[in-house]
Amino acid sequence: MIKNFWILLLGMVICTSHSFAQVQRFIDIEAGTYILGDTLSLDNPRRAVTLSHFSIAETELTNEAFAAFVASTDYITLAERFHNAMVFEPGLAEFRWLQDSTAYWRFPNGTSRGGIEDKMNHPVTCISYRDALAYCEWAGVRLPSLEEWEVASRAGSQTKYFEGVELDNIMDYANIWHGRNHLVADTTDGFLYTSPVKTFKANPWGLYDVYGNVFEFCEGSLVRDQGRKVAHARGGSWWCSKNSCASFNSQYIGSVNPNASFSNLGLRVAKKK
Amino acid sequence: MCSMIPPSVSSFPLTVYSYLQQTFNSTVLIIFKEKTMRTHVLLLILLFGFINAFAQSNEVDGSSYSRDEKGYELRTKMTIPPYGLAKVKKMIETITFKEDPLGSSDGGIEAISATQFKSLSLREKFTYVMIHAELSQQNCAIPEYQNDIQKRIFSQLETGFNEASWSQRQADFLMGNRDSVMKLIQESVVRSKRMGVNYKEAILEMNAWEMIPFIISYIKSTAQDKDALTLLMLLMKRGEFDEFMKSTSYQKLYGPDANYYSFLNYNKANEVLICERASRYYKEKTLK
Repeated sequence: MIKNFWILLLGMVICTSHSFAQVQRFIDIEAGTYILGDTLSLDNPRRAVTLSHFSIAETELTNEAFAAFVASTDYITLAERFHNAMVFEPGLAEFRWLQDSTAYWRFPNGTSRGGIEDKMNHPVTCISYRDALAYCEWAGVRLPSLEEWEVASRAGSQTKYFEGVELDNIMDYANIWHGRNHLVADTTDGFLYTSPVKTFKANPWGLYDVYGNVFEFCEGSLVRDQGRKVAHARGGSWWCSKNSCASFNSQYIGSVNPNASFSNLGLRVAKKK
Repeated sequence: MCSMIPPSVSSFPLTVYSYLQQTFNSTVLIIFKEKTMRTHVLLLILLFGFINAFAQSNEVDGSSYSRDEKGYELRTKMTIPPYGLAKVKKMIETITFKEDPLGSSDGGIEAISATQFKSLSLREKFTYVMIHAELSQQNCAIPEYQNDIQKRIFSQLETGFNEASWSQRQADFLMGNRDSVMKLIQESVVRSKRMGVNYKEAILEMNAWEMIPFIISYIKSTAQDKDALTLLMLLMKRGEFDEFMKSTSYQKLYGPDANYYSFLNYNKANEVLICERASRYYKEKTLK
């Protein structure tokens, strides 16, 4: 019996070693009372929040992981059903996106702008909040709450960024947009759109891409929702620049229609510890 | 559509579960199926088991910050046109509350059909576009720091549509009926004595520089609406008016270090400067 146990473990190691990147690691976050928010914010005021233990993925969910979900379930995303995904291409005015009926998670910016065949270790995008929930249900995980996400992203810091990050060096930690505007393509950091997860430096608790790559859906509601059906996402994305909204930090909370799919919106999963 | 994880492995850690689904070779599967190993699998499940816990929030914000509610409301308030309003609202309800058979509330469809849109008169289309944006938008640039609004001239307008923006069809309507839309906006503003953020957005969308004299007269009669000054500057920026592009104001609001939260301090001198500059821009445009 003991021999069989070790054979199983060995088999697991062999099978996972060649595809380690696809294995989702989780960071344990201890129970405790954390200071969140900002004194000038109404939607996210400075406050103490008590949380129980939880675990949060060290990376954003990859195309590879989402592909496994689709392969297992034949799930069809909202963008595939309603052809309503929003995509970006250089040349658009600030905050302008295009609706592209061909776009969905396999072609996050539409078929004319390429697929994800060689981007399986990039975060999945072009999925809606409802698609994210479907994935979580299948995988036995969940989205982090707005508070959990902020605790994990701050990693003990009480400022807008986790320790070590300022606006001047955030590009070392995040795949963001470096151009003055979005009229011209920006590949300063080597990536026009998403980058492979874990390309940039992690925060002190080991979470990657907290302020860049893709915005991450969270659970929760805000006063400003006023009862409307709104999904919220946090962090920052490859689209974000310091000259636009500068929304890549631990404080701001974005909003989007729960049925909308954008090529800079993805997720990072969480679970009870 | 979305199949569930079998109950026997529903609490299995994601890493192990994914790996079991995708990368197990036949040898391991055979081992896994052995009855004797089930005990060890259960042990693994226990090792990675979840602990029930729920978050509790305890607000202890001691901030003395308070939002200028009245000013903020003015910045985000839309003007609702009266033309065929009941008919248009009823039409919007038919899309907003459509139940999707797969459980999604509105299926991501936020637009009336092409036939419905075509059936509306010009004035009704104007109402539709002014009260309902068809396209999804990410609302990430929410300037939260909305105190002392009356003392600031912001670089950008707020939005009245929250997580939505005009679709191409709606933008095409505005551009295709530019003269008529400008008249309707003017007529409505004169009547209601206010210019909602949706009207300002429409003026920008159409690049309606011809409305500059009207906007200036509106500013003189509606002192509390500082966003009308923002609108003038955005029109000058859109037209790349040389005098404005070289100004200190431009650098501060739209220069290399500016972002969507940038603002000028409001004072009468700044108001006069912006209006006079916009008048010169208007003259330059009319002479061309």
